Amino acid sequence: MMISLRRMNAILQKDFKDFSRNLAVSTVLIMPIGLGLMYGRAGDHSIEYHFMLINLAFAMVATYVQCCLIAEEKEKNTLRGLMLSPASTTEILGGKSLLTFILTMFVVVITAYFAEYKPANIGIMAVAFILSSFFYIAFGTLLGLFSKSVMEASVIVMPVVTVFSLGSFLPTIVDQYPIAKVGMYLPNIQLIELATKVEAGSGMGDVLVELGIILAWVVLLCILTAVIYRKRMVD
Amino acid sequence: MSLHFINAEKRMYDSIIFPSFDLSIGLGSVVAVYSSVNVREQVIELLLENTRLSNGEIRVGESSVSYNKHKMGFFFLKDSLYERLSIEEMLYFTKRLYSSNESIEDVIQTVQLDVKRKVKIKQLSYSERKRVQLACLLVQDPEVYIFEEADQNLDLESKRIFLMILLQLKQQNRSVLILTGNMESAVTMSDKIFRLDENGLHAVHMEEGNEDHTTSAEELTPIVESVLPVRFEKIPTKINEKIVLFDPPEIDYIESNEGQSYLHIKGESFPSVSTLNELEARLLPFGFFRCHRSYIVNLQKVREVITWTRNSYSLVLDDKDKSTIPLSKSKMVELKEMLGL
Repeated sequence: MMISLRRMNAILQKDFKDFSRNLAVSTVLIMPIGLGLMYGRAGDHSIEYHFMLINLAFAMVATYVQCCLIAEEKEKNTLRGLMLSPASTTEILGGKSLLTFILTMFVVVITAYFAEYKPANIGIMAVAFILSSFFYIAFGTLLGLFSKSVMEASVIVMPVVTVFSLGSFLPTIVDQYPIAKVGMYLPNIQLIELATKVEAGSGMGDVLVELGIILAWVVLLCILTAVIYRKRMVD
Repeated sequence: MSLHFINAEKRMYDSIIFPSFDLSIGLGSVVAVYSSVNVREQVIELLLENTRLSNGEIRVGESSVSYNKHKMGFFFLKDSLYERLSIEEMLYFTKRLYSSNESIEDVIQTVQLDVKRKVKIKQLSYSERKRVQLACLLVQDPEVYIFEEADQNLDLESKRIFLMILLQLKQQNRSVLILTGNMESAVTMSDKIFRLDENGLHAVHMEEGNEDHTTSAEELTPIVESVLPVRFEKIPTKINEKIVLFDPPEIDYIESNEGQSYLHIKGESFPSVSTLNELEARLLPFGFFRCHRSYIVNLQKVREVITWTRNSYSLVLDDKDKSTIPLSKSKMVELKEMLGL
């Protein structure tokens, strides 16, 4: 199947205009950046703090915004219009994710800059960030498909935001509660472990396990989203 | 491209939604299907391929619906517009999404929203939104148009624009299917009307000159005799077991629906025991006028005569709801004579 870039671009541009006028959702972008500024000035530069912020930026922008965008299309009945158009599922979801992806990358980079996080190896971290953003966007799409309105979307996305941002402190309690070890395989924790290794001077070959686990999450969620989309949109 | 229902039949939970029927909508024809909400929704679901027919098939052109999905354009009752975009941006988006070659300028002119092109959709009135929705459909330029309750709740100006566009579509050889539960809108918008219900598809006869004259002449003769002996001026209606009598001047208009005539009085309707022809004969001295095959109107209550196109007219009454009723072309001539125009 041919993917029409023109259509994806049309959806991207439409979403950008729509998003920039939707203050209820677009003001979310300010939060991670603002916190980044504050923590940057506070002078605590441990890797956990940096990654609490970066994971918060991922969850707040990628998941929250994507979830609200999809839920609004459903609420306003416009998703049906898109589905009746010649645009395929890939083009619709791709076009929407593209906007979220650009916003996420923008906010994450700015936040990291303000928080004065300087990775030892920018190349590896960039790959890890891009992979992580795929995970968060797929998660947002999935939640958006489950919710019927923007209101509902912004509520069900909250636990996700909490788990993935504050969850960055999970490694500190894992010795007390062995059960928390399961949580160590979450993509946000993997991202932190990867970053710690990078700071210690590891190269690409040493972090393949962490990247692999994040990639597995991305694949899992993409499959889940595709299945739910088919199922939800038929009825 | 034409739309065909071949032997189409739908059953749901052991009850018949509609039995099998054949209907072809050829190029350049506007066909209205008058039905209940359930049937209308089912037909739309079928065209969207969300459900399947119990029997038979639907064809678009020569092939099945799924093959020619994008040749059909839907005008849903519930619009799907991006409220934060302006009219122009919305149309531009639709154009790019459908890779269409229609000129946005022309379409905006056609729906007469030129002045408001930079206005955001959420600031528009309901009728204007419907016009934007129609504009989006025109930008898509499908071969088969499917309208769901196209002119429901529209203001007069938008209705006029709508009818004008329908006429244009006809000239461009598009096939148009109108699904509606409102006989008045079916009559004003289409050439052919069908009623679809659990008894099947039946053509609703549009009044066409001579054929009507012969039938009414035949039926009139016996009625005159029965009226002659006593001049009883009240019109009886039957509600459950009660018989209610109305003075002719109280009546706004009388409508015939599925062989039963209904008196409309102050926004309420009462089934009458007599047929439309009998009523017409009795009410003629009171200033009533048969304005359509299935309507009699009290001329005292008529406020306005609207000319949609050269061949379609409506009467607007001075009653509570400002009801509009169709006026057929041949009756328009008669009415003009009566008014001395």
